[in-house]
Amino acid sequence: MFKKLIQKSRIKSPWLLHYDCSSCNGCDIETLACLTPVYDIERFGIINVGNPMHADMLLVTGTVNHRNKKVLANLYDQMPYPKIVIAIGSCALSGGIFREAYNVVGGVDKVIAVDVYVPGCPPKPEAIIDSVVLGLQKINQWQKEEISHAAGSGPGQSGYINRRSR
Amino acid sequence: MRTVTDIITAENLTVILILLPFAAALGVFFIRSARLQSVVVLVTGCLLIASALLLIPLTPFQFSPRPILGLSLNTVVQSLDFLLLVIILYFGVRHRKVIITALALFQICFLAYFEFFMIRGHQPSVIFLGDNLSLIMILIVAVVGSLICFQAIPYMREHEAERNLKKSRQHRFFFVMVLFLSAMNGLVLSNDMVYFYFFFEITTLCSFLLIAHDGTPLAITNALRALWMNSLGGAAFILALIGIYAETGTIEFQKLLISGEFGQGILQLSLVLLCLAAITKSAQFPFQSWLLGAMVAPTPVSALLHSSTMVKVGVYLVLRLTPALNHTFLSQCVALFGAFTFISAAALAVGQSNGKKILAYSTISNLGLIFACCGLNTAESLTAAMLLIIFHAVVKALLFLCVGAIEQHIASRDIEQMRGLYADMPLTALITVMGVIMMIMPPFGMLLSKWMAMESAAANIYVILMISLGSALTVMYWARWAGTLMSYPFTGKFKPERQPWLTWIALGSLCAGAGLLSIGAPWLYLKMVLPVLGGQYLPPFSTHQGILDNPTGVFAVVPLSVVAILGLFVAILAVRKATDARVVSPYLSGSQSTTPGMFVGPLNRLVEAGAKNYYLSTIFGERRLTPWINIGAVVLLTLMAGGAL
Amino acid sequence: MTRTLITIIAALLAGPLLGGLALGLDRILTARLQSRIGPPLLQPFYDVIKLWGKEKIVVNIWQAFCAYCYVAANSIALVLFFLQSDLLLILFILAVGAVFLVVGALASTSPFSQIGAHRELLQILTYEPLLILVTMGIYLETGSFKITTVMAWDRPLLIKLPFLFVVLGYALTIKLRKSPFDLSTSHHAHQELVKGLLTDYSGPFLALIELGHWYEVVLLLGLCSLFWATNPAAMVVLVIGTYMAEILIDNVTARLNWRWMLGYIWAMGLTLSTLNLIWLYVS
Repeated sequence: MFKKLIQKSRIKSPWLLHYDCSSCNGCDIETLACLTPVYDIERFGIINVGNPMHADMLLVTGTVNHRNKKVLANLYDQMPYPKIVIAIGSCALSGGIFREAYNVVGGVDKVIAVDVYVPGCPPKPEAIIDSVVLGLQKINQWQKEEISHAAGSGPGQSGYINRRSR
Repeated sequence: MRTVTDIITAENLTVILILLPFAAALGVFFIRSARLQSVVVLVTGCLLIASALLLIPLTPFQFSPRPILGLSLNTVVQSLDFLLLVIILYFGVRHRKVIITALALFQICFLAYFEFFMIRGHQPSVIFLGDNLSLIMILIVAVVGSLICFQAIPYMREHEAERNLKKSRQHRFFFVMVLFLSAMNGLVLSNDMVYFYFFFEITTLCSFLLIAHDGTPLAITNALRALWMNSLGGAAFILALIGIYAETGTIEFQKLLISGEFGQGILQLSLVLLCLAAITKSAQFPFQSWLLGAMVAPTPVSALLHSSTMVKVGVYLVLRLTPALNHTFLSQCVALFGAFTFISAAALAVGQSNGKKILAYSTISNLGLIFACCGLNTAESLTAAMLLIIFHAVVKALLFLCVGAIEQHIASRDIEQMRGLYADMPLTALITVMGVIMMIMPPFGMLLSKWMAMESAAANIYVILMISLGSALTVMYWARWAGTLMSYPFTGKFKPERQPWLTWIALGSLCAGAGLLSIGAPWLYLKMVLPVLGGQYLPPFSTHQGILDNPTGVFAVVPLSVVAILGLFVAILAVRKATDARVVSPYLSGSQSTTPGMFVGPLNRLVEAGAKNYYLSTIFGERRLTPWINIGAVVLLTLMAGGAL
Repeated sequence: MTRTLITIIAALLAGPLLGGLALGLDRILTARLQSRIGPPLLQPFYDVIKLWGKEKIVVNIWQAFCAYCYVAANSIALVLFFLQSDLLLILFILAVGAVFLVVGALASTSPFSQIGAHRELLQILTYEPLLILVTMGIYLETGSFKITTVMAWDRPLLIKLPFLFVVLGYALTIKLRKSPFDLSTSHHAHQELVKGLLTDYSGPFLALIELGHWYEVVLLLGLCSLFWATNPAAMVVLVIGTYMAEILIDNVTARLNWRWMLGYIWAMGLTLSTLNLIWLYVS
């Protein structure tokens, strides 16, 4: 049925939005390295789009501070469901070594709900690709739960709204 | 016992079409109550529409009028003609414009010479002739003209309220507007060229009076410019008339067209002078400045005179002359000149941000295209010319009326001020966008005519190069305007704004009319256009199932219209379904604020997210391009005149 | 009547299927040229279906209307192409779609969208005269604008219209959104204005626009194929050759600005068209 086709396509074509909060660019370089011929994530249908309205996954690097917490929230709001948030690098997890600086709010989960955490400083490209795969598994899980539940959203479904309940 | 069919003859209807507006104009001038004036205008308009429609089954017809009150009509027209020229002379003297005075004196002298020495005693056999081309023009003047006058009633009320006028000048305004309708009807029905010249001069005077209506110094300057350029056309016409009579011994259009050798000599020169008269009347380059300046007039004036009817007099004249232009060098020159105007005016419109000036340049551009079609002189191109006249008149009038309504609401004519107008005036903005769509998109009539024009021009390399470039330029300035109207930062419910009911009637009828005429284009072609082509040309298209077909091309008018209507329904349903979509701010790199149209800037202050259109003024700027275009036009006109000598 | 109906349905289905496969091939070839492996062949289909299944978000309700009109216009143009109708009419219907795309983009107040829309208008300004002149060349050679005449012509058009084929190639580069002329919006990795024209479209509406683009690709490649209409094998070779050339040009050039595009394409395009048209006129 067309619904199954949509669900399969979501797994086959995740589009990323990469946002650098205030990173030292180490994690960013590793993220962009995934696009190069060595790792080539386009094999999996992954594209780095620059626009939240086109993206399925938000990859966030760097610490959240008082300047960019609003931007992060705005970008998250502009993404259509279903969406996944991936926090990359220790700064995005919890603020990293800058955790106690005066302008740092903390990790990404202080502003928006995070689905996948990738530790490392910086994490390897393989780990970043693995995080996208974990994100896709989460989407798959939500889709399975949507099929098994008649209506209404279950617990922990931060980035996914049940279309049937609308 | 006279039955209804005895009363409704072509002759009586002609009298109604010409004399009724004249009487109504006098009535409006002397009645000072605004309500009664409106009633007179409304009744006149309805009667004109009815007469024009009743004339359809009676075409073609011809007659010469009987004497009125013992005076032959010729004498009446003669004396009024001189009176008219004296009035123009008076205006030239009063405003101290040497050129108007000189041209008026020139015309008086030559007209006197012509009337009293050349055609003394000559009696033309057919004075009034109504064939389908006249009928097309009469329908345009009656229907579109009346609708514009209807909309002018609330428009002028608002116009005068804005200017805090103590004494209303509406009686003068409507006097000239309604008189103008009479003059146009007379002009297109005249077979006698002296009558044609008479009505031609009335339209010149009406144009002058209406442009100067507001009485500001700018209005008077522009009106005087219009007067001298149109008088130049009149002077060329009278010279041409002298030449034609000297060579062929006739002053009737029909007799002229069958009189013989047009290739060389005085007759060719006279035709060149007639084309010159047409070019000044239709504001082609290098005489375009009067039309641009005429945009200071109230918008109904622009809609009536300067887009639908008066500027069509020039193309009507050349269209009448096309059998005489066949296979001459002059014809090729007219085609080149028309195509050159088409692309130049389109280029100039790209660099404009004033809404009325864009419409003015677009008018000049389309008139150039009609001239090009007349110059190409094939059955297909003449069909294109006539369809262009019809569709351009209706759609351009609609657009001008929309701009008039918008201008009164936002007190500006600049497109940049119309950005996001949909939030403020949804229905007017929507009708304007529909007007733009009807100008540039299939399956509507304007594009059908343009398609026909291109197909007929395909064998002429110079013409087709200019037309294809011009066509691309037109897309640019229309699409830019349509997008700007719809550019607002959030969605809302559609709630039509309040406008006077006469405005809605005028806008709605023109919009619906353009749509219906577009779907009915094959029948328009069969019933209206084909009879005009007559025996000289083979029918260019066959129509079956609403499709225009011939060996070189095919345009499925009715099937495409049906598909377009279905598509429109589907799209509207989709929009309805999308109203429950989540509304987000446009992408502003994540800095958008909750206030629509603003983003968070430095020091956390809100900054407005402004945008402006590309006008490409370094390439298409008016000041930059106009001198070159005028030089080009003069070169082409010299070529045209030189070919005759 | 049934024949017409079958042709219409075939056209409506061929657009997405062939277009999607063509774009998938495009991405694989681009990846191989960049020493990568690239996505699977059916990737564009996954993309469009995924987009269709996303939540509906709009910036301006007018965008929904324009997206539908865009895909409708392009599909009607392809249907007319399959029905072997008038070439000039088909070009004008394509222009309808392009204008709706621009108007929809202008409806959003984001600067990326606005600048993308104006660049798209400049692109339309650049390629439209050239496409019309190509059609005129076909008319001068075959005596008609109808595709039926072209298909029945005994000589391949490419022999007499070589320069016009190059001009068609210029228009194709702009229409397919390939470097150096992918100014208003471009495929995936080559962004400049975020996504330019398409920035504020998303979800199902972006899916519709992508679908409309596929119809357009199939139509333009079909137009290329008309230049060797006598032999089906040659037709396929010509189309594949042109498409590969476009992909190659895309990968070896950088994006240029609109002044360069307008200046160069008009200069070269109009010169080549005029030369070819004069040649056709004289012979």
